[in-house]
Parts: sequence; structure tokens; C-alpha cells
Amino acid sequence: MSTAFQSSSRKSWRLATGFAFTALACAILLGGVSAWLLGSVAIAGLSAAAFTFNFHTPAAFIRLFAVGRTAARYGERLTGHKAALADQVSRRVELFAAMAAAPAVRRAGWQLGNDSRLADYLDDVEDLDFARLRAGLPALTLACGLAVLIAGSAVLAPLSLLPIIVLLLAILFAGNRVARAGAMAWRETRSLRRGGASRLGAAMASAVPLKAEGAWNRECTEALAALSRAGAAQLALRRLQAMLDMIGGALGPVAGVSVMAAAWYAGRQGTELLAPMLLAFSWLALGETMNGASRMLVAVLRRNAARAEIGQWTRGTAAGRREFALDDIKPALLLHGGLQRRAPDGRSIGTPISLLLARGQPTLLVGASGSGKTSLLKQIAGWIGDDAFATDDRILSAGERRALVSLVLHDAVVLEDTVRANLFAGDAPDAVLWRALEAVEMDGRIREAGGLDSWVRQDRFSLGEAQRINLARAWLSSPPVALLDEPTEHLDEAQGERILERLLVRFSDRIVVVSTHRAPPLRDVRTIELQP
Amino acid sequence: MKTQVVPAPIPDPGASGPAAFEALSAAERLARPGLRGLLALQAVRTVLRLGFAATAAMAAGRLVMGETVEPRLVAGMIALLAAACLAGFAAESMQASAENVVATRLRALAGERLGKMPARQLQSLSTGALIVSMQRHPESIAALVVGHRAATAMMAAGPLLAAIALCFVSWQAALLVICLTPVMILFFALVGNAIRRRADAQERAFGRLAGQFADRVRTLPTILANHATASEEAKLGRRLEGYAGETIGLLRIAFANAGIIDFFASLSIAILAILLGLGHLKLATIPGFSNLELWQSLFILMIAPEYFAPFRRFSEQYHAKAEGLAAAAALNRLLGAEPIASTTLPVLDRLRLTLPAHGLVAIVGPSGSGKSTLLRRLAGLEPGAMPTPGTRPLAAEEIAWVSTDAYVPEGTLAEAMSWNGGALDRSRLENAARAIGLLDDALLPGGLDARLDKGGANLSGGQRLRIAVARAQLSGRTVLADEPTAKLDRATAEAVRRMLIGISGARLVVVATHDRDLAAAADLVVDLTRDDTVEVAA
Repeated sequence: MSTAFQSSSRKSWRLATGFAFTALACAILLGGVSAWLLGSVAIAGLSAAAFTFNFHTPAAFIRLFAVGRTAARYGERLTGHKAALADQVSRRVELFAAMAAAPAVRRAGWQLGNDSRLADYLDDVEDLDFARLRAGLPALTLACGLAVLIAGSAVLAPLSLLPIIVLLLAILFAGNRVARAGAMAWRETRSLRRGGASRLGAAMASAVPLKAEGAWNRECTEALAALSRAGAAQLALRRLQAMLDMIGGALGPVAGVSVMAAAWYAGRQGTELLAPMLLAFSWLALGETMNGASRMLVAVLRRNAARAEIGQWTRGTAAGRREFALDDIKPALLLHGGLQRRAPDGRSIGTPISLLLARGQPTLLVGASGSGKTSLLKQIAGWIGDDAFATDDRILSAGERRALVSLVLHDAVVLEDTVRANLFAGDAPDAVLWRALEAVEMDGRIREAGGLDSWVRQDRFSLGEAQRINLARAWLSSPPVALLDEPTEHLDEAQGERILERLLVRFSDRIVVVSTHRAPPLRDVRTIELQP
Repeated sequence: MKTQVVPAPIPDPGASGPAAFEALSAAERLARPGLRGLLALQAVRTVLRLGFAATAAMAAGRLVMGETVEPRLVAGMIALLAAACLAGFAAESMQASAENVVATRLRALAGERLGKMPARQLQSLSTGALIVSMQRHPESIAALVVGHRAATAMMAAGPLLAAIALCFVSWQAALLVICLTPVMILFFALVGNAIRRRADAQERAFGRLAGQFADRVRTLPTILANHATASEEAKLGRRLEGYAGETIGLLRIAFANAGIIDFFASLSIAILAILLGLGHLKLATIPGFSNLELWQSLFILMIAPEYFAPFRRFSEQYHAKAEGLAAAAALNRLLGAEPIASTTLPVLDRLRLTLPAHGLVAIVGPSGSGKSTLLRRLAGLEPGAMPTPGTRPLAAEEIAWVSTDAYVPEGTLAEAMSWNGGALDRSRLENAARAIGLLDDALLPGGLDARLDKGGANLSGGQRLRIAVARAQLSGRTVLADEPTAKLDRATAEAVRRMLIGISGARLVVVATHDRDLAAAADLVVDLTRDDTVEVAA
């Protein structure tokens, strides 16, 4: 993240705050001074003072306020968004880095790979990104405007403070209630929404059995009903908002009326009432900005919820995260005398096994679905658990192994980027990349798609094609340990065997482990059969 | 087979193409009753606010000019203020509940649509996209047909009411603000065009960058596995910066829209204040602006912003419109997709066999030969001829479907096993679970009370399948099993085979399978070999 960008964010916030204050001041003064002017000239018009009345100065000010309000509001919006966007860039980059370091990513089944979870997550990130713009800045200017007008009221019409303060307290009280009830309604909305989403997802995953057994309609209807209940919870939140806005909207008019009434009650007359009238119309103008009060509140409670939620993704990230650079280590073997296999959630599976993984002799993990092949590969890769493995001359911790291992995930995906970027081969020459694509029999398909620099997305490829891109990445990888999880999945048998054989030839000087649920006819492999 | 009843036309779930789904017009129909009330309330609120402005101006003007202010006027003013606030509250709540009603009903309509969709088509939908659609799109569409429509209508009604109020005091002042409107609308149109052009250009140039953060979060494990975190982080920073810069460029024009309304609202106040001031000073005689009482001038000053407020509210709804239209289009696409033509399998149309009332029937053949399709035809999930002429597919209530994607509800193992079958006593559940090896599964500790996550997220395909087999045994229904022993380890596969054979003693069990051992135990083997000959051997 460039520091230039961060300092520009600070500058933008300062500018936005300046604009916000200017806009509010101009709006208040435009209303107040216009009313004051009309009152003054109406009184002056009754007498000969009309001819000596300096009309042009206040008229010029009114025009200034009118133009100033328009310009400052535009400036406030623009610089506010600029500041928020600058923050967004740095916050999102940091968030990406924090999430990459979080253990949750390395466990089974990346939940944010799922569209609906990802959409919820993005909402949360956006709630964080714009909280300052939607709540912080307007709340600050509103509070300052209130303070100024209250001070003015205390000077010009002290008695008016009584209804104003009472109403303000009522607003604060209601705001507090709404904040608490609203946070609860929002929590409920989120959990109902998520419940409905996962229920619908479960029904979709079992669409054929459910349709066959005539249970689809019931399950689908119940999932959708949960989503609609989430809508009802959100409706409760909006009703609360409307209530707060009702009370908030009354502040400006009530304060204005009170100021006039208190001034009159104090015995002011004629021109003495002009200043209170300026104040009263200022209150009316400020009252207009009170209308957004409930939105600020909602922005804050959504931000709080979002913060808690996003915190869960990055929890467990070591503070001083260290990337191991172990370029010079090329272990000839990896050894563990009694490895306790673990499921992704930490439960232990079966009895400890002893593992001897040697360079030049691939190891085949065979086992039925659910026997824990992926978990074992991740354990070897240092993605789950904190087991230490021995090599020829040293002990490798989980973190160190992560740097030494190229893990070929069975659920790897295609990034929305160029083909070149998707191969993760840095600045390797084109010929090398094409050689890799040929090895996985994807060269024709990529040429068709427009070559190495064409922009690709996941949905342009079949599962088999995505799998072959993933294998091309493996082909181009350099770490001394290669772990391949179901490399032939989604490929037809013959093609899968051809590609796997080529990969094993290329990896002949590495430690290789391949997991599979059907044992391919490979020479020179050690086979470990896993029982659940 | 129980279903050999009177020959009847075979129901064909995919033949009659469904009419296109029209989310927007359906939502508009649903919104109509709520919208009328909402508009009435909003109009009432506007009238009450105008009333308050009139009484407040009258009271303030008279007070300053030293005239008497009747208590009735003050009381009326306070009553109007309170009523305006209440009407505002009522309008807001009504809008919220009207939108909620539309969203809920629209979702239910979409649900009905999904209910009618054939299984094959349902499977072709992206689950993630469907969930996002069901979760968010009805709400976006509701906001369009209620909130946005109301704001559009009020853009006509609000200024009209304000102009009428102005006419009571000075028709010339009303004329002035009305004359400003076409100029404002002209600016609107110009800016709107500029925004559209700019947004299109941005879409072309930067559309790719828009989803980069989301995409990198989605693909995080892949990035991690390829040791690309650092390079992707740097790239992401660059791309987000580029996108933010472009967005600012677009906002610069987009905010001009709100700026124009601000400008005209401010301008009208400034012009009116100055004209009215000159009138009061009697320095100039402007018809409609001279010889007014102070309260009349104040009234004009207070009403002028009300005239422009509806335009402002409408421009704030800009996003609601874009989002609602996009949501409606997405929902139509999702639910109105053409039914997917089932692959033609001549071998299945030539197939003739009579299924026994009980016994094990194995359908064998290489992948793609139509084993699963035949099972689905028997269950009525696929259009096509039935293997026994004149019969109908099994009714849903007679089928127990066994496959690795069997449905598993959230709850305990016991609940999953009795799902869709009604209450069963615990000893029967226990026997079935033990026979299929679910009680001594190390990965599913807790026996019958083992906890299953939502959607069976903590289950392997093999565990799901065994739950389905146990359920089939307990249900007393005809069993249709799709590859019941694939991907299982030897011992489990043996247990599944044993249980299926056991069930076939009393009921019909049809399996589509690659498993030679299972086929060998069958009473009837249907071989769908590639050379289009069908062998049926007893």
C-alpha cells in the first residue's frame, strides 16, 4: 500500500469534514438570514427607514449561502467518497493479507468459495468501508450544529432550552432503545438469512432425491420461509428507524417554535424578535438534517455486526506472522513415526500411522470417500495440525513445511484474471507455460480462448478443464514436496492416467504424495490404504 | 408392480415449456394495494407539513409585526406538526411493510416455480446464484415497485401540492418555482446522459476490476496453495487503487445530479428572499411580491424547499431502480430458463421389461449408457417412455431414493433416519443403524444421537448413502438406488449390499450400479450396453 495513497485519504477526510461543516453552516444561515432579512425589511418598510436600509449586503450574503451550500454539499459528497474509497483500498488489502494468514483458510471446505456466503461477507466489508462516511462524518457535523444552536438559544431565549433539552433527551433515549433493539433485529435477520440460505443449499444439493421422494416442495418452501422471516426481522428494524425519525424530525420545528415563544414570553417585540427569528429558522434548517439520524444509527450497528463477523475469519492469525524462506532446503525424505491423523475440526481419526515419504518414490494414498485422504495431505503440508516431521538432518515444523510444499487442492479454482496469472509462474517465459499446458492437454483449449493473456473466469471452464489448469500450476511449481489431492478427478480415466504419469516423471526428484479413490496402474509407487 | 393401473397418458414434466417468469410485473401486481395506501399517506404528510409551514409562518410573522397571535393558531400549528410527524411515521412503516409483503409473496412465487421445475433443470442451476437470488432479489424488486414507484409518483404530487399552497399567497411565486422546474429537468437529462456514457465506458474498461476483491477472497485457498499471497496482495492493491480512481471519476458526474437539485432549491430561496425583500421595502413593485404581509413572505420562503424535496428523494432512489431492474432480470433469467433437453437414449425407448413386485433389479452398463436416466424415469423425474408400456412412474410417496446426495436434515442421526418416514421406535432405528455400520463409525461419534450439521456438512458421501439405505429399509417403500456402493470401502459396501438384498425379499429394489457383486445377487439384470442391445437375464 503506497503511503501517498494513505496520506491522500487523510487529506480527503479533512477536506470532507471542512466541506460538511461549510455545507451545514450555509444551509442553516441561508434559512435564518433569509427570514431575518424579510422580517427586517417588513419592519423597515413601515417607515422612512426603507430608504436608508442596506439591502444589498444581506442579499449578497444570501446568494453566497445559496451557492456555498450547493458547492459545499457537492464537495462533501465527492471528497467524502474519495476518502472512504482510499480507506477501502488499504483496508481491503490488509483484510486480504490477514485472511490469507488465518488458519480458517487452510481447513476443509472454504466457505467463502460459496456465492451466498461471499455476498454476505462483501456486504459486511462494505458496511465497514462506508461506516465513517455514512455515520461518523454526518454525526460529527450534526452534533456541532446542535451545540451552536443550543448555545444561541441559551443566549437569546433561555426558556426555550427546556423543550429542546427534553426533546433531545427523548431522542437520545429512543436512539439508545433503537440501537439495542435494532442490533438484535439485525442479528436475527442475519442468522435467519444464513439459516435459510444453508437450508436452500442443502435442498439444492439433494434436488434429485428430494424430487423423487416428493419432499422438495416442503424443504424448498421452508427454506424460503426462513428467508422471508429474515425480511420480517428487518421490517422490525425499519419500523424502529421510522419511530426514531418521527421524533428526530420534530426537533427542528419544535425548537424553532420554542425559541419564538420563549422570546415573546420574555417580552421581546418588533425588531427585538428578529434575532430569535433567525435562530428559529436556523433550527428549522438543522431539523432537515436530523432526518438522516436513524440511518446513521443503522450504519453504526451494521458496522459493529460486520466487525464481529469479519473478526471471525481472521481469528487465530498469529500476530507476528513469519513467512519461512527455505529456498536452500531440498529434503530427500519426510518422516513421522506415529502421526495421529486428524479431521479438519481437530478430532483424531484412527490409530497413529507411521509415514516415510522418500524422494523419487511416489506414495499413493488410497481410501474410500470420507477416509480422510485430504486431511492427511493437509497435515503433511502443514495446513492443519502442528505436527513436526523429520527430514534427513532437521525437524520441520508445520509452518516450515508450508513453504516447502506445493499442495494441489482437489477443489482448486480459477481466478478471474489472465491465463498467465492463473498459472502462478511469475515471469516464466511463454514457451515454458505452453509446455505446461501441453502436458495437461489444455494448450488447444487455451489457444481457443485467446492465448496466455486472455482474461478467464471460473464459469468459462468445465470441472475437468479447471482441474487441468490446476495440474498445469503443479507442473510449473518448484517446491521440493508435491502433494496431489485427487489429481485425476473430473478427468476421463485414460487422460487422467496420461497426465499423472507425465507429472510424476517431472517430479522424479521431489517427494510426491498422490491421493486417489481409484488406484491407477502406476509402477514404482508405495501405496498406503487408509481406513476411516 | 403396484402401479400397473389403467393405462393413462404418461405425464411429461419437461414437455410443456413454462411461460417466462416475469418478476417485475408480478411484483407490480403484488404491490398495487399497498402502493395506493402509501401514496395516500405520503400525500397526507405533505399536506400536513404545508399546513404547519403556513401556520408557523403566520404566527412568526404576526409576532414580529406586533399583531396578536390567536391561541387557536398556535394550537393548530402544534397539532399540524404532531400530525405531520405521525403521518411520516405511518408512511415509513407502511412502505416498509408493503415492501416486505411484496418480497415475501414474490419469493413464494419463485418457490412455486422451483417446485414445478424438473430435477434435471434444477441441477443445472448454480446453487450459489440461486441462493443469492432468493435471498436478495425479491427485496430489491420490492424496493423498486414500492419505494421507487412511490417516490416517482410523489415527484408529481409533491411539487403540485406545494405550488397550490403557494398560489394561496402569490400565484406569481408559484409560477416562478414552476418555471425553474423545466430548466432543472433539462440539466437532469444532460447529466443523466453523461453518467450513462461514462458508466458504459467504465464498464468496458474497468468491469474486470470491479469484482477483484471478491474474487481473491473466493479463491484464497488456491492462492495460498500456490504460494502467491504476496504477489496477489500487491496486485490487488494496484487494481483496487485503479478501480477507486475510476469510481471517483464516475461519482464526480453522478453527484452533479444531487447538486442540481440543491442548486435549484437554494437558488429559489435566494431569488424569492430577495424579490420579497424588495417588495417589502417598496423599492420596486413586482406583481405578486409586493404588498404582502410578512407572514405571507415567510410562508413562501418555507414552502419553496418543500417544492424541491420530492425531486431530491427521487434522486436518492437512483440506486434502488438500477438494483431492482437488475434483480428482476436476474430472477427472470434464473427461473425462466429454457428446460434442458434430456439426452436422447434410444436404448431406453426400446427397452421392454416388466418389473416384479419384489426382488432386486440391477441396471448395469458403462457410464453414460442411461442407468441413472432409467431410474429417474421410473421415479417420474424424466420425461420418456416407461419400460413397461402402459404403466406410470411410481408416485413420490412410494419411493425411497438412495444415493450419495441423499438429503440429510440438521439434527441427530435418529432424526435423519426417521426423516420423511414418520415416527419410528428407537429399537428399530438402532437395529437399522447397527446393520449398516452407522453406530460404530469412528467419524460419527455418539450413536443415534450423533450430531449432524446443516445439510449434513460433516458427513461423507458414504455416510449419507448409508443413512439413505437405513431410511429406505425402515420406510417400507420401493427402493431406487443410484450407484449405492461406489466410493465405499469394502466392508461398508458389503453392508450396503446385504441390506439392499434383505429389503428386496419383501419389496422391489432397483439399483443402477457398476458393482459386479451387487449385480450378481440381482433377481433381474438389465444390461444397457453400448451396442444398443438390451439383455434381460433372470
